[in-house]
Amino acid sequence: MIQAQQLTKTYGSKTVVDQVSFTVQPGQVTGFLGPNGAGKSTTMRMIVGLAAPTQGQVLVNNRDFKKSKHPITEVGTLLEAKSVHKSLTPSSHLRSIAATAGLPSSRVSEVLELTGLTGVRRKKIGGFSLGMGQRLGIATALLGDPQVLILDEPVNGLDPEGVAWVRNLARQQAAAGKTVFISSHLMSEMAQTADHLIVIGRGRIMADAPISEFIDNGLAQTIVKSSDIEVLMNALSSQGVQLRRIDAQTLEVTGPDSEVIGRRALETGVALSELRPLQRTLEDAYMELTRDAVEYHSNIVAENSGGK
Amino acid sequence: MTTQIQTPLRGKVTLAGVLRSEAIRMFSLKSTGILIALSIVLYVGIAVIATWAIGSLLQDMSDPSQMEGMGTMSQPGFASETLGSGLVFNQLILGVLGVLLFSGEFTTGSAVSTFLASPQRLRVMTAKIIFTVVLTGLTQLVSTLLAFIIAKPVAENYNLTLEFSSSSFQSVLWYGTLAVIMAALIGLALGVLLRSSAGGITVLAAVFFVLPIITAIFGSYVDWLPNVSAFLPDQLGLSLATPLSAPSDLELWQQLLGVAGWIIVPLALGAVLLAKRDIK
Repeated sequence: MIQAQQLTKTYGSKTVVDQVSFTVQPGQVTGFLGPNGAGKSTTMRMIVGLAAPTQGQVLVNNRDFKKSKHPITEVGTLLEAKSVHKSLTPSSHLRSIAATAGLPSSRVSEVLELTGLTGVRRKKIGGFSLGMGQRLGIATALLGDPQVLILDEPVNGLDPEGVAWVRNLARQQAAAGKTVFISSHLMSEMAQTADHLIVIGRGRIMADAPISEFIDNGLAQTIVKSSDIEVLMNALSSQGVQLRRIDAQTLEVTGPDSEVIGRRALETGVALSELRPLQRTLEDAYMELTRDAVEYHSNIVAENSGGK
Repeated sequence: MTTQIQTPLRGKVTLAGVLRSEAIRMFSLKSTGILIALSIVLYVGIAVIATWAIGSLLQDMSDPSQMEGMGTMSQPGFASETLGSGLVFNQLILGVLGVLLFSGEFTTGSAVSTFLASPQRLRVMTAKIIFTVVLTGLTQLVSTLLAFIIAKPVAENYNLTLEFSSSSFQSVLWYGTLAVIMAALIGLALGVLLRSSAGGITVLAAVFFVLPIITAIFGSYVDWLPNVSAFLPDQLGLSLATPLSAPSDLELWQQLLGVAGWIIVPLALGAVLLAKRDIK
């Protein structure tokens, strides 16, 4: 379990993390989502004691991690790929970390096997691709078979197979009762992995809820096209639903799902040229949440395209 | 695929564990071996060549004690001191090793892994200090002993006395080792203070090569400068290890105090900043 209370970090006059409080529960995957520069990495660095909070505190399993006597069996951390001496090999790097905690070298072989690095264990890390560096980072995090797993953008640079592998790994660890805290700037990634989401923007928590709550409040939205749109509007309005006329032939219906609308259209004899359920995706919810909190905007923002 | 293991790992961090970790890492790096080999070869080479040069010089002179400035050369301990001719080079080379030992953590980003595995930062620093003392101390002892073994037949060839048990050789052996350890620890402290290999090596070279030149140039104009120069780490090392060729006005306890100061002050400063600053 990770508990942050009023966690704040300022660099000079810039507040990177602003009075952030949250709890990451064991037994589930918690996603830490936010645009680039939102304060995700800084928060994670404070959790593991690499950066000192300007204010507030953070506890890992009810303790300050900096005082942990069993750091790598307590917390496995991936902060940035290649936080390793480039002239070392995966084998020497992992053996060196294992030695710190007196772990057997058999554990080094295990995590090398697990992350698919056995074949390159004697190759210089300096020549690794981003994906390989990421695998080594994950191997390092898993070395102590830790109770808490903190992964900062773990799928960066991984191929699709690697992405699926990280997703499985996170789910497995959570199923085994561990605390799994994964950051990402991609909602689509979190949607497939996380049970719970903490969204951060400009150093502040914007949302902290189970992932199901991020998808609309159960209200279906549907786009309907017909040349007899007025007739259909009359037929639907009796149901007390929200109707929004988009153009002469197009209607946005909020409330009943597409099946109800289709049957209604059949009953009233209106021919439909389009009946398209709009799913408000997690991506939409995320964009909406962080629209004002994005540090670096691109000038052209793609319009929410809706259905997926 | 399984990530679970049958018996839970205990993984308690100890100083011995961190030391072992340091040793595994440093001996996996080529630079460590290169610097150690370089220091031994250079030190032994300079010692043997210097012994040969002094020997042949003395042989060419009928009575060196009559010649001005040659008095010390004919003293019995001088041949032993000749073995310490490469001392400043070893201070610099093993000082560089000291710098790299800590700066490497920050320039490569491996500090993140290191301090995640042992969040108690001062324990890591303690391990690095012990590792530095043992590694550079052993290197200097081996260098000096090798220099003795190889230079001995050369010295005997010129009728120079090179006695292992003489106080002169013992000074070169032990005070020379102390001087090298001091330099390596100054390097280590510079590595953690500046977090940069280039910066650390530059400052180290400045302390050992540039400061003595500056004090020598301005020493004749400023009264107190010669006193300062006696406390510079290269002078302290030379005057302790080779008192005949580098005499000092300082008492032994003052010299040792100076060495202690050069070891403790930079390291203490480094420790305070290491504990305080964020790890990048």
